Amino acid sequence: MRDSPLLQAESITKRFGGIVALQDMHFAAAAGEVHAILGENGAGKSTFIGILAGALRADEGHIVLRGEPYAPHSPVDAAAAGIATVLQELSLIPDLTVAENLWFGSEERTRLRTVDRRRIEARTRALFAGLGLPAIDPGALLRSLGVGQRQLVEIAKALSGDADILILDEATSALVPGQVDWLLRAARTRADAGKLVLYISHRLAEVRRVADRVAVLRNGETVGTQATASLTDDQIVSMMLGRRLVSLYPERVATATQTVALSVTGLTVAPRLRDVDLELHEGEILGVAGLEGHGQRELFLGLFGAIRAQGQVSVRGQRVTIRSPRHAMSAGIGMALLPEDRRHQGLLLTKSVRENLVLSALGRVARLGVINPRAEAAIVTQAIERTRIKTDTPEQPAGTLSGGNQQKVVLAKLLATGARLLLFYDPTRGVDVGTKAELFALMRELAASGYAILFYSTDLAELANVADRTIVLSYGSVSTVLAGADITEDRILAATMAGGSGAERGSAA
Amino acid sequence: MSSIQAAVRQAPVWVPPLVVLVVMLVVIESLRPGSLAMSRLAIEASEAMTLILIATGQTIVVLRGGIDLSLGGTLSLATAIAATRADVSFGELLPWLFVIIALGALIGALNGALVSALQLQPFVVTLATWSIVSGFALIILPINKASVPAAWFEAGNAKVLGFLPVPILLLFLLLLWWAWFRRTRLAYRIRAAGSDERGAFLNRVSLTRTNVVSYGLAGCLAAGGGFFFSTQTGSGSPVVGSQFILPSIAAVVIGGTNLAGGRGGVTGTVIGALILNLIGDLIFLIGLSSYWQQVASGIILIGVVLLAPLLRMASEPSGGDG
Repeated sequence: MRDSPLLQAESITKRFGGIVALQDMHFAAAAGEVHAILGENGAGKSTFIGILAGALRADEGHIVLRGEPYAPHSPVDAAAAGIATVLQELSLIPDLTVAENLWFGSEERTRLRTVDRRRIEARTRALFAGLGLPAIDPGALLRSLGVGQRQLVEIAKALSGDADILILDEATSALVPGQVDWLLRAARTRADAGKLVLYISHRLAEVRRVADRVAVLRNGETVGTQATASLTDDQIVSMMLGRRLVSLYPERVATATQTVALSVTGLTVAPRLRDVDLELHEGEILGVAGLEGHGQRELFLGLFGAIRAQGQVSVRGQRVTIRSPRHAMSAGIGMALLPEDRRHQGLLLTKSVRENLVLSALGRVARLGVINPRAEAAIVTQAIERTRIKTDTPEQPAGTLSGGNQQKVVLAKLLATGARLLLFYDPTRGVDVGTKAELFALMRELAASGYAILFYSTDLAELANVADRTIVLSYGSVSTVLAGADITEDRILAATMAGGSGAERGSAA
Repeated sequence: MSSIQAAVRQAPVWVPPLVVLVVMLVVIESLRPGSLAMSRLAIEASEAMTLILIATGQTIVVLRGGIDLSLGGTLSLATAIAATRADVSFGELLPWLFVIIALGALIGALNGALVSALQLQPFVVTLATWSIVSGFALIILPINKASVPAAWFEAGNAKVLGFLPVPILLLFLLLLWWAWFRRTRLAYRIRAAGSDERGAFLNRVSLTRTNVVSYGLAGCLAAGGGFFFSTQTGSGSPVVGSQFILPSIAAVVIGGTNLAGGRGGVTGTVIGALILNLIGDLIFLIGLSSYWQQVASGIILIGVVLLAPLLRMASEPSGGDG
């Protein structure tokens, strides 16, 4: 429908080790449109954006920009080619002010060759006013701003140049609804001015409001590109999901018992989480859903004693006040948290799988302070089999395992502490499909043997297919509880956005 | 938030150490009236100036996210060169000053290049270069103490325009230079690279160049410090620099500069160096043995470092940072 695309990608393939992130991928977008790129986590969106932004290089294929070959070697090349990117990983310097960050490298200078603060700050105010942005103090240090405001500054920086192509990668993840509206308008204005805006988001509602066309990626390939208006949400989702491997999710066998493992009343973590009640039974997988920053992090860390929380918590009928993660993991409480960031999970990357596994169970393998090799081997073998860690030998350094297998080592360590209450915080982030399937199967097995599991995932399909019940957090409170067949992605998505338009409880920016 | 709280939050990092310095001066003045007279202050400044110069260099490296142990070696080398020029006249002073500072710059630039090229921790690289440079100082001047030309001693203890002691003038010039330098693009790049290397790289900052320049400047300042030391004491020593290495880091930290890089400045460091120097006076005036000086230095170091976040916490509204 448009004659010559501004940006065209042909047969792009990109591998990371053995994993294929993009496979013979095609893409085309024209000037003057907002073009959404959708796909599940791991579908290849970030890889493609990384290639366009000069952060990654394609193994095969080529990109044509304005009819010329385009192969950036660095972010500098991408900027020179007129591509501005708002990445999830922010590029702002924490110890510089807003104005200094915005005009870094092109600051006006005084006669003494010093940076002219007054002029760059005036330029900042003019930029914010021109963009219709709420005023952010141009002289404020970036580290003093909240995540949402930092993201606004990053977006303003991308908008300040006159780039032909603006890439917004999950740029609304930290924004409150009013700011999202602003960004969507800004994207529209850009496109109307003849620029191309690539819009990557998990939020279908936003895509529907702003995008002219949608390209859907799945498993590193473009499944289709169509006008947004011609697709229903269901159609978009089914394009994203495709025909699922039946084996990705284990059969949902109800194993929940009547025994309440964890009962929470009025849990509050200022300012993000308010008055949350929940009950988790032994043998149950309780899902937690919510958009980024709607309190799920506070719920998990608050329960685990990592941040201060108010409210009543009972474990197996006993009122407890969990003071610290150490306390949470103690025998009396038996809680364990599997966080999403493996680098901060106490995994010693240069040490072997064996050493990692026994580190937290040294008391069980040592006699008089000396490790009994036979007891050690037994524990290690059992842990590797139970969690199906794929390792050549127990002596392989943990850092050389795939992400999913590192995750399993951490899980095995947690199980070794004797915990019965497991908090899984987005455990599948960055994990490949095969490992996901194993992790879900393992979760089911654990539930069947009486473990109680609280499971947060950014991927709604996982909640829909794995959880027995799911609570949906919206603006820090439970907006809905879904159970059994009622847990569908659509319903979860609808509930996560409930209250978003009303915004009567919009979190403080 | 009240305006007082806002003021405390926005206050530069050198305010807490300044408070400590002022308190110390008041106590000293009350124990020994007349301590705040120009002549006394000139003595304090001249005693502190060597540390101030080397610590200023340290500050710049720390802002870049590094640390430079070799500055002590550079300082020794500068005094050693000075002490082996017995026949230099007053007129030849400036060329020699230039040579010494250029040598410091060269050593520093090498440090910066090595840190970048080898991708090694600055601590390791500069520990090695400290050893090398100190070795050269000993080779040039194999005795512990030697006199420098009389002309140099005279220059260091002269009064400019008949009333302004050289150390006070130097201190003034240093602060003036910093007031200018901190606002240059170069200083922004150094701080950006120290604050977040990856972010700086994405903003097209050359990590190598900022390393070479910041270590190079530090080398200049340490060599200048050595030169100053020899003019004040009239002597040179191939080992004197080592006793300045850790105090230079202490002055940086007391001055409010973040050892992780990116945050802080020379103003605080100057205050920090003055505090470290006044501790000796204070201990003497209280009547304690001078051995207590080290103990007091450590306590002040921890006290000032704790003071800054306490002030900030007190000024922040309650509630987490999300």
